[in-house]
Amino acid sequence: MSLERKDDHDHGAWLESRDDLSHIETAYLTVLMWLDKRLRIVDYLELLEDLYYKVNMQMPKSHTEQYGLDNKFWYWYPLYALGSFSTLAYVVAAISGALLGFYYTPGAGASETSSLAYQQIEFIMLELNFGYFLRSLHRWSAQVMVAAVFLHMLRVYFTGAYKEPRELNWLLGIVLISLTMVFGYTGYLLPWDQLAFWAGQIGVEMSLSIPLIGEWVAQLLFGGFTPNPATLQRMYILHVFFLPFIVTALIAIHIGIVWMQGIAEPH
Amino acid sequence: MTDDTDTTDERTDGGETGIVPPDDETPAWSERKARKQGLSRLTYEYFERARREDQDLRQQSSYVERDVLGFPAWPHEMVRNLALTSFFVGMIIILSATLPPHIDAPANPSSTPEVILPDWYLYWSFGLLKLGFLNPELSLLGGEKLMTDRTYGVLANLVVVGIVAIVPFLNKGSARRPVEQPFWASVGVAGVVFSFTIAVLSIKNLVPIEEGLLNDLTFLLPIVAGFISYAVLKSMREGYMFNLNRRYYRLRPPK
Repeated sequence: MSLERKDDHDHGAWLESRDDLSHIETAYLTVLMWLDKRLRIVDYLELLEDLYYKVNMQMPKSHTEQYGLDNKFWYWYPLYALGSFSTLAYVVAAISGALLGFYYTPGAGASETSSLAYQQIEFIMLELNFGYFLRSLHRWSAQVMVAAVFLHMLRVYFTGAYKEPRELNWLLGIVLISLTMVFGYTGYLLPWDQLAFWAGQIGVEMSLSIPLIGEWVAQLLFGGFTPNPATLQRMYILHVFFLPFIVTALIAIHIGIVWMQGIAEPH
Repeated sequence: MTDDTDTTDERTDGGETGIVPPDDETPAWSERKARKQGLSRLTYEYFERARREDQDLRQQSSYVERDVLGFPAWPHEMVRNLALTSFFVGMIIILSATLPPHIDAPANPSSTPEVILPDWYLYWSFGLLKLGFLNPELSLLGGEKLMTDRTYGVLANLVVVGIVAIVPFLNKGSARRPVEQPFWASVGVAGVVFSFTIAVLSIKNLVPIEEGLLNDLTFLLPIVAGFISYAVLKSMREGYMFNLNRRYYRLRPPK
């Protein structure tokens, strides 16, 4: 009598008994069984399967199909792609931004001529191989994203796509467009050049002009009442830590709601 | 020995998992929900109603039900998406290779540059900060302003964003195209023109127009543009109605 427990569901023996499987299939099943024994993937696969059949439920014809509007609709198609274009530009900016982060240091400490941040930008632009291209890519994808977001909002406005079931997504879109501009603002403060310094000054004055809590907001966001090394540090953390998490999550919700509600077509 | 094997049901250690598989007796999710009290009971009842409503609407609908969506996701839709994506990313790459960004002089707190401008997409907001000339002076307070000019500018930003935010709650109904809603479309045109004129106002020290005139134009041009687009859209709508009526009376001539 063996001490080893008998396997009621001897998947290994079952796998060996199957001689009709290719190498790829055998390898796939081996990995799947190994993982499933430890993580019980089968439960999650059932969830996915359920989701798959829910997604592929029979759908009614879309408005354009029902009334044969495709022939009148196609030339508006680019306007309906602006939302995905801004998402694409966001992805390009995220990738190039992560690469730029390898070389950038947010230091604005006292120095004779220029700050550490500015020297790093000079290094990226002048010495690093393809560094100017990387920075250029980041900047241009950010510009294109903002432009696409503005045009996307205009498209949604002029086709009345914000109407009844979609009011919440319109509000979410306003939050997103504002955060996109905050993204841009924190981004162009990072080189710590003249523009950055004086744009920072304007930002400080804007927050100081808020009644009652103005000084507190300026301290929190800018670390003082004039642009200083703390300002650069805070803008950097906002730009590479807070905003990416918040904006990515909101974009996911925004697109998820569009998926649930469908695209509003003009009629 | 046989006794030992029979009692394995109670000894879970090393034996079976002890998890009871669901059978017909096990209450389903909806049944468990149905037994609940209070708010969850209400939620359940509402969801049941909503589900029934969905089903009824689907049965009444004249829409054609079909097995798959009209346009296959793979490969048709994916090829189109890939083509658009690579075209778009290629455009960004060409732009960035040909037009690298400028680097300014390093930050120098002791010398203010002559022109301070944010990026182009913040011009409108920057212009709203310069609306101090509209800040009312109250004679009650002896000609003093209720709030400082810069507070007024920040407030103007909030007001503009707020107006954009409440649009869906003001403009209701099923109209979608600009021709169907000339008023709201012309409000939109006025808004777009205003975002340009306020951007020009933000760089007023570079614009060779007298300041008073520029201030007036900032608010007059959007209104003019709004009126023009309202007139154009109204007449387009009249044109559509005329065509529709003509077809109608050709089919059914008046006696």
